[in-house]
Amino acid sequence: MIDMLSYFCIGGGIIFWFWGTLPLLGKRSVLFKLHSLSVSDTLGSMAIVFGLLLKLPSEWQLLILAIISLAIWNTMLGYVLAYCASSQEDL
Amino acid sequence: MSGYLNIILRLTIWLLLTSDLSLENIAIGIVISLILPHTHQSIGTLRDWLQAIGKIVMAIPTAYIEAIEMIFRPHQAEDIVIERVPPNRSSGLIFLDIFVITFTPKTIVFKYHQDGGYEVHRVKRRKNS
Amino acid sequence: MNSSLNLILMLMIVAMLIPIYAAWQANDVWQKMLALASVSSKASMIILVVSVLRDDWMIGVVATIVLSVGNAGFMILAHLLKRMDHS
Repeated sequence: MIDMLSYFCIGGGIIFWFWGTLPLLGKRSVLFKLHSLSVSDTLGSMAIVFGLLLKLPSEWQLLILAIISLAIWNTMLGYVLAYCASSQEDL
Repeated sequence: MSGYLNIILRLTIWLLLTSDLSLENIAIGIVISLILPHTHQSIGTLRDWLQAIGKIVMAIPTAYIEAIEMIFRPHQAEDIVIERVPPNRSSGLIFLDIFVITFTPKTIVFKYHQDGGYEVHRVKRRKNS
Repeated sequence: MNSSLNLILMLMIVAMLIPIYAAWQANDVWQKMLALASVSSKASMIILVVSVLRDDWMIGVVATIVLSVGNAGFMILAHLLKRMDHS
């Protein structure tokens, strides 16, 4: 049961990865690509780490730390990239 | 009051990083979290902080719901709105506000104005709806 | 368990090839930054899966460090690029 759930989380995370990364190849604005990247890199990766956590709960400290740093750093990186890229376009 | 929250956050990260719950390690963690520099500005009331933490907990399922919605119904249009917040919030609370807005995949904050407003970039399903 | 994790690992590597290609192809510097930031977080996730696969937690520590340090480096680089554009 838990095994199924963990594979479900990892598989869902990989689907998020592919869905969010493919728009990078298109010709959209930086901000639009950032929206889809925040789906794939933050939410998809969090789902994958959560799946790994269900699989191997013995080393939960490191995986929880990975989830926290994923959430905080990727979100802040999204904000910083959006801020820098948009203020450059205004000039 | 929220100085305690700051110390608890540092101690949690220390314990997760070292993954060792012995008495000595907890003591070292407490000493380090007290030694690290902290600010003495106004840091908001405990109620503001509890509300912000509640918003973060709610943001995680919202983010996944929005992600699934974006996958099954493509959002092609984009626009910019300005979101108002009460002025004179402390920098920590502003950080948490920006974090919550940017964490959900449909919205990204890209500029903060001093007089209390965030410029938010959104994706939508179609134009002018 | 190992064979399915191997499959997952292959899919993740295929997913990582997309932003590498995008970074090589992009002309605008911000599109390049976006693609490289995506490569950095995907690479650290792959390291984390490898560490679970091989049951070696020193590799996992490396992955967590790459996760935070890599993103911090990208933030500094973004600010640097912005300042160079202004001057």
